[in-house]
Amino acid sequence: MSTSSELAGALAGQPARKPAGRSPFRRVVTNQQFVLFVVLVGLIVFFGVRNSLFFRVGEFSNLLTDFSGLILIAIAETYVITAGGIDLAVGSTAAVTGVVAAGWIQPLVSHHVNAALVLLLGAVISAVIGAAAGAFSALMITVFRLVPFVATLVTYSAGAGLALVISHGAPVGYNPGAIYWSATGVSIVTWLVAIVLVLSIGLGLILHLTIYGRYNFAIGSNEFAARAAGISVRRHLVSVYVLSGVLAGLTGMFFYIRSGSGAATTGVTNSANLLAIAAVVIGGASLYGGVGRWSGTMLGAAVLTVVSDGLIFINVPPTWIQVVVGALIALAALLQTFRRRGGATGRTT
Amino acid sequence: MTTVEAQQPVLELRNINLSYGSVVALDDVSFKAYAGEVIGLVGDNGAGKSSLIKTISGVNAPDGGEILVDGVVRHWRSPHDSMAAGIETLYQDSGLAPDLTIGSNVFLGRETRRRGVLGRLGFLDQRAMERGALEQLRRVGITIPETNRTVAELSGGQRQAVAIGRAIAWARHVIILDEPTNHLGARQSGEVLKVITSARGQGLCVLFISHTLPHVLEVCDRIIVLRLGRVVRDAPTTEFTVESLLGAITGLNE
Ligand SMILES: Nc1ncnc2c1ncn2[C@@H]1O[C@H](COP(=O)(O)OP(=O)(O)O)[C@@H](O)[C@H]1O
Ligand SMILES: [Mg+2]
Repeated sequence: MSTSSELAGALAGQPARKPAGRSPFRRVVTNQQFVLFVVLVGLIVFFGVRNSLFFRVGEFSNLLTDFSGLILIAIAETYVITAGGIDLAVGSTAAVTGVVAAGWIQPLVSHHVNAALVLLLGAVISAVIGAAAGAFSALMITVFRLVPFVATLVTYSAGAGLALVISHGAPVGYNPGAIYWSATGVSIVTWLVAIVLVLSIGLGLILHLTIYGRYNFAIGSNEFAARAAGISVRRHLVSVYVLSGVLAGLTGMFFYIRSGSGAATTGVTNSANLLAIAAVVIGGASLYGGVGRWSGTMLGAAVLTVVSDGLIFINVPPTWIQVVVGALIALAALLQTFRRRGGATGRTT
Repeated sequence: MTTVEAQQPVLELRNINLSYGSVVALDDVSFKAYAGEVIGLVGDNGAGKSSLIKTISGVNAPDGGEILVDGVVRHWRSPHDSMAAGIETLYQDSGLAPDLTIGSNVFLGRETRRRGVLGRLGFLDQRAMERGALEQLRRVGITIPETNRTVAELSGGQRQAVAIGRAIAWARHVIILDEPTNHLGARQSGEVLKVITSARGQGLCVLFISHTLPHVLEVCDRIIVLRLGRVVRDAPTTEFTVESLLGAITGLNE
């Protein structure tokens, strides 16, 4: 077709304006990932200077394990938040699956059934329980039209309560044999950590390079546009909450292997929720949906892990950690506002 | 267009009804539309224009009635089906995802996959899409320097250009434009009208919704007037003046 003139130019009324603040320097220093990386290095140096034991290999291995316990639910939250929702149930889902898996697996561990088989079985059980929790949230959101905040709050409460009922508030299925898996591996990377890292990278590739991820961002950016483009929004959202549940379930399994018992303390439940969402927000995702990056979440989770462990390391009371996490979220939000004003937008593709 | 009546209509609606709860948005709407024809769809706010086009595109499922494309009764399970049938729609409430790039928006819902195993796993060929988007948009007269910028970075006019370009580039039979000149200046609106005329030249059937009656009288071959969800006039443009059209829309001169 030969329109007489360039429609775009004419429609714009003026030549395409370069948004302010796209200068390379400003783009780099306001880039969330870059800032996070600097903060991360700064924190490690800071804690190391305050207590040189922080640089021990053993401590690094600890950090890596704590990081692994956080990233699956943080990535789950990344999917949900970039799709325009939120999942407040990841912590309690992890708690439920932790105690259930512990109860089921302990006899097998005690009878010295092949450890890899036990682990696989536990992972499947945890994933199924998590999927059920996610499906419950998804049902309330897509069929009963509850907003994600309320729907997942219901799942959270149900899960937290259930975990306490099942466990009678005490650690379940303690068996030192389970810890074996969290302690062996190649060098400082335990098998447990390696599996979680590989899974995380796969999830990152799916988020940014596949059609599934594209639909996720499209729905979070403009649900109507996604629907009008023929995307099955409801089906996708169901799958996202189920995925989130599965990852939360696997995290519960992770906690069990790590500590050798399933515990249902509300402290763990709440802090897992808080940290997962904090990692995503600190990583630069928008709570309005459509904007966020896997790499941002990974860096956010790394910063949170270093802060949480580092503060304990230099003898700051644990109660202060939540305050520091809050401050980090505030800083990240400020940075985001600053970037918006600078005209740069988060790129998702 | 005097000879089109002899052909098969490319799009036909028969007795379409649609309600939102107790609100009747469409009441027994029927009309035929032919290839190479520009049809103006006019009516007051709330007359049911947007509801009608969302029904044609499969966003809304009608409570009753039939939609025929090329003489065949079709049922849309989702907008995906109408798109596959060659019907493209520019929605009044933006149909673009602001956080995605221009290229990703042009290909939204019809993404290009990589070749081979990765493609079957759902991996995207983003570069092919950016290149394809540039070509598609240029083909319909829209030049945008880089398609790897997000839509949020564009001006309102540029966004509209991308949205119109996307619709025209993919349309094979019918293109529906719901108030495409809203928020545009006089010169920019003139460009949109030219795009509509050239889409007709390509043999597309255009459904053009607008409140600017001189525009409607200028580019349309036929005008359908909706009032409170009913078709109250369906006649060649030559039978209308601005005054008589206004009368039909408001129902005051009857
Ligand atoms: N999603 C909706 N839910 C409920 N009522 C709606 C909805 N969309 C439109 N309506 C109602 O349907 C009628 C037709 O609206 P609409 O199709 O938007 O008209 P128009 O585009 O001609 O202004 C109006 O009474 C409007 O209030
Ligand atoms: Mg309308």
